[in-house]
Amino acid sequence: MSTINTMTNALSGWGLWIALVGACLGTYFCRAIGVLLSQSINQDSEIFRWLAAVTYAMVAALTIRLIVMPLGLMATVPLWIRALICSLAIGVMISKSTKRLVPALLTGTLLMVGYGVIR
Amino acid sequence: MSSADQPYIDPSEIALEESAAERFKNPSDAFWSGIRDAAGAPAMVLFAGMVGFGAMGKTNGFDVWFTTFTSFFMFALPGQVVLLEMAITGSSVVAIALAVTLTSTRFITMTVTLFPQFHQKDRNRSLYASVHLLAMTAWAISMREFHAIEVRHRLSYFVGLGLLCWLISIPGTILGFYLAGMVPPAVTLGLVFINPLFFLLTFTEVKPWINRIAICLGCIFGPIFFIVDRDTSLLTAGLVSGTIAYFIDRKFLRKKTGVVG
Repeated sequence: MSTINTMTNALSGWGLWIALVGACLGTYFCRAIGVLLSQSINQDSEIFRWLAAVTYAMVAALTIRLIVMPLGLMATVPLWIRALICSLAIGVMISKSTKRLVPALLTGTLLMVGYGVIR
Repeated sequence: MSSADQPYIDPSEIALEESAAERFKNPSDAFWSGIRDAAGAPAMVLFAGMVGFGAMGKTNGFDVWFTTFTSFFMFALPGQVVLLEMAITGSSVVAIALAVTLTSTRFITMTVTLFPQFHQKDRNRSLYASVHLLAMTAWAISMREFHAIEVRHRLSYFVGLGLLCWLISIPGTILGFYLAGMVPPAVTLGLVFINPLFFLLTFTEVKPWINRIAICLGCIFGPIFFIVDRDTSLLTAGLVSGTIAYFIDRKFLRKKTGVVG
């Protein structure tokens, strides 16, 4: 599997575009299969419960990676700052049960910009 | 529903009786109403996410074509970010395609719950084109609004909604890409932070315990698997955590009433 990334660590050139085509086909495949199944399948079936759990776990793993072990620019921000900003944004989000996504997103983003300005 | 005791009922049949009030005069009325409903907070959040994605592409050294093509042809932010991250860490093409496809399996669930609500005459091959417009934003709004829309106008409404979401994501990505190169680093930092924060915040709205457990396990296994083998870490962390969550739910939670979401 590691033969594709020979020169540098990052995927580049044709490999990158092949990955994009694969990702696009995979994504469209899921949408299309949904249309095909929408005539006949029960949304509460076991396979959907499992798939939903796998999806959430994967996005969670991705999110925590992006926040705790980021690459590039975000890595220049100390971990405790990233954690603090995330906690504050979540605090805004759960302070009221509905329609807090925009204020919470703004809080977090602006705090991050603010940190960038003052550091 | 009064007809819940029937062995099989098409969801569109139920709604046909219920939404007697005429909300839209014709398909184009429904289409433009869909566009209006999308233009607001939902579209702003999606737009911000796409701007953030464009900025991620730029700061990680991808070109504008690759970054924009991703938004145009995939139109699924989590999958797009997975693609970008795995490409940066040098994962194999097979692992990338598989991981992205798995994150996109949520579209199967979304389609299966939403599309049976369209009118029978709309449920033909053209849905294979319309389905590309389906994403979390359009799905959530449609699920909320469909019960109050006549069945025959639902597809037009959905297309208006989805089309706007899809179309704004392209300029959003391009804007983010070029902004990241022009604005001060502090602003770029904010832009790159939008998506991780956005995903994190949406987790607080997840209700079923099976998915909450999956998220917690994903947060634990994600970094561990990343240290062990980062090429396939998202894939393995997702599969392992999701499967464990599924079995915890199946063995312990389902038997207790009030725990299953």
